[in-house]
Amino acid sequence: MSSAARAHSSDQFLFTDYEPGPFYDELIAPDGLPRPCAAAMYEKLAAMPLEVFEERRKLADLSYLVQGITFTVYSDGKGTERLFPFDLCPRIIPRSEWDVIERGLAQRVMALNLYLQDIYGQQRILKDGIIPRHLVFSCKHFRREMVGLHVPRDIYIHICGTDLVRDSRTGQYLVLEDNARSPSGISYVLENRLVMRRTFPRAFEVCEVMPVDHYPAELVQILRSLSPRSGDRPVIVLLTPGLYNSAYFEHCFLAQEMGIELVEGSDLVVVDDVVYMKTIHGLTRVDVIYRRVDDDFLDPLAFRAGSLVGVPGLMNAYRAGNIALANAVGTGVSDDKAIYAYVPAFIKYYLDEDPILQNVETYLCSKPDHLAYVLDHLPELVVKAVGESGGYGMLMGPSSDQQTIEDFRVRLKADPRNYIAQPVIPLSRVPSFDIATGAMSPRHVDLRPYCLYDGQKVTIVPGGLTRVALQKGSLVVNSSQGGGSKDTWVLRGDE
Amino acid sequence: MMLSRIADSLFWIGRYMERADNTARILDVNYHMLLEQPPDTYKLRWDPLIAVTGERARFYKMYEEASAQTAFDFLGFSTENPNSISQCIINARENARTIRDRISRELWEDINGLYHKINKLRQDDESLSRFCDAVKRGGHRFHGVCDATLPRDEGWHFVQAGCVLERAEMTARILDVHYHQLLEGPPILNEARSHLWMAVLKSVAAFEFYKRQYTQIEPAKVAELLLLDSRHPRSARFNFGALQSSLHAISGSVPGSYANEAERLTGKVHERLAYDSIEEIFDGGLHNFLTELQHTCRSIGEQITRAYFHYAVVA
Repeated sequence: MSSAARAHSSDQFLFTDYEPGPFYDELIAPDGLPRPCAAAMYEKLAAMPLEVFEERRKLADLSYLVQGITFTVYSDGKGTERLFPFDLCPRIIPRSEWDVIERGLAQRVMALNLYLQDIYGQQRILKDGIIPRHLVFSCKHFRREMVGLHVPRDIYIHICGTDLVRDSRTGQYLVLEDNARSPSGISYVLENRLVMRRTFPRAFEVCEVMPVDHYPAELVQILRSLSPRSGDRPVIVLLTPGLYNSAYFEHCFLAQEMGIELVEGSDLVVVDDVVYMKTIHGLTRVDVIYRRVDDDFLDPLAFRAGSLVGVPGLMNAYRAGNIALANAVGTGVSDDKAIYAYVPAFIKYYLDEDPILQNVETYLCSKPDHLAYVLDHLPELVVKAVGESGGYGMLMGPSSDQQTIEDFRVRLKADPRNYIAQPVIPLSRVPSFDIATGAMSPRHVDLRPYCLYDGQKVTIVPGGLTRVALQKGSLVVNSSQGGGSKDTWVLRGDE
Repeated sequence: MMLSRIADSLFWIGRYMERADNTARILDVNYHMLLEQPPDTYKLRWDPLIAVTGERARFYKMYEEASAQTAFDFLGFSTENPNSISQCIINARENARTIRDRISRELWEDINGLYHKINKLRQDDESLSRFCDAVKRGGHRFHGVCDATLPRDEGWHFVQAGCVLERAEMTARILDVHYHQLLEGPPILNEARSHLWMAVLKSVAAFEFYKRQYTQIEPAKVAELLLLDSRHPRSARFNFGALQSSLHAISGSVPGSYANEAERLTGKVHERLAYDSIEEIFDGGLHNFLTELQHTCRSIGEQITRAYFHYAVVA
């Protein structure tokens, strides 16, 4: 406990001076009373003495440390392991809201898959002029090698992590970006729930929270269905870049939960277009790879030659139909941030439906009129490099100094195709524990649900990862920049 | 089905944990013995200790003389010494972290917990004996958690193989270094001599057992117990027997035959330890015998690697 917190603790409760403020608060209505979905949890937290809360918070932190659920920060040169901060106040979503999100995401993932199938197949959408040819082919993650290659069961994106935000002005959820390559974070969803169940067992008795634990079982079932060989026991592996990857914990966790082998590139070898793994008793054939290695590093013979984490010859085996990969190679042509602007059009084109979830208004710098607008309004916009993720290559206009803005202006003019810009969305907030004051205080959040696609339907475990910007006023939720996470509760009903 | 890399890591988790444990034992016992010894025997006590770990050359590059402080620093925490206790625990943890999906949650949490504890003790500048105690307890717990939570499959046998191979080699080294010292070092007091051997026995947790077998401390008897006894879990014979069982369990070959060079060498040494008498070993020269034993331990390690971890794949 900080000294400030100790000074307050005797007569203060967590929500004593809580002010939802000018942003949409997920749990507390503007009048300061809990929303119906949050009433039961609020009652528990509001009545909890600070000392008790602090004790539980420490136990929760300790459990992450003991389990070694840490991520590695390389910026200090030492590769320090840090805890991904976990905030004990859950984000709560009423069922009726979730139903809309679920339908919207399912629709989006279906459309993205149809788009990929089309782009690497007949390219009808280009012929019909729905999206400019040059925009697709200039994508950093477009893979020429995939054109005409048949992927098992026509599934490209098996796992999609779509980032959603709620716009405080309208109260609507918006899609911020799609992560269709290898989205990470699901292990935190499962571990956070585990820790919450241990920390507030009584709350779960009254709150009717929908479970999330079935995710690994759903995923492994999809992976199993992809096997190119018949037989009911295909060999499935999870390919990781290794211990020094920041998501290594997650790779281990998922492999263990799914009961599949966790392998590194050096464990695999391709002989006559068949993939094997090296075991103590010789080579064993592999059927399906859930790969957490980027396209670029997957096969040094096909892509980046220097890659040490890949498997030489893997693309040949893939082309020969002897191995299934999830996600497929080349899905980055669907989550490019410039392509993003066209996803609503994909939904209309492929499904003949109106998008259920809206995009954030987006300026494509490749369009001269958009570029002109962006250059005129840099201090009020967010500018993003199209092929990046994880908060890299980004300009937050309102919080950047003049020099940074001018630097970006130069970059934008030099390579407009590489950038998009969006207005700053006033993200919704959730009460979060502020260590400095020893009380709850509103903090901005986003939401990343994890969608699984089996070729027919999209399955989404209720909720997802809620990331929270723990620094006061910050809108950046990335773990590398002071973000933390929360357990996300989807209720069986609306309250 | 077990990946070669996983087997490799399991084997080294066993080796590193055992190495940390052994190092803590010899450090602790020698430190306590020294408290009651005349000051002029200091060097005599600490120098062989460094030699046991096989890092003498590195040590004297870093320090001028072997004292309690420098030995503790070097064997306990030094990042320059790849075999220091904390480095062994870091390495064991890195291996465990890499394959945490393949070991029990309890085992990972135990090794991870030991790592955090050692880090904390170091920051708190705790005394040598509290530190060694934590490591020894950690070693015991490691064996207990393995025993209670790991399935008895090939993985288990790789952990076992790593432990017993390391322990056999360490026992040979401890004996060798002290023998050398007694035969060639400056003359020392009789009582110091018996204290030394008591310390050796205590460092391998065999003192009580020895006292029940033999009345007096005699170097030849100590050697007999540490090399040829079939019952004590730190004797060379015991460990070679355990190594042989684990290797056969992995390969599936029957006792009396061998599937690879590691098994052949292990079987050969085990036969000698079972049928040679201590007098025969002394006749051939104990030092020669111990040198050969250490050499064979290294060869077995290399052959296990060649048979299971890094073999050539023919396309």
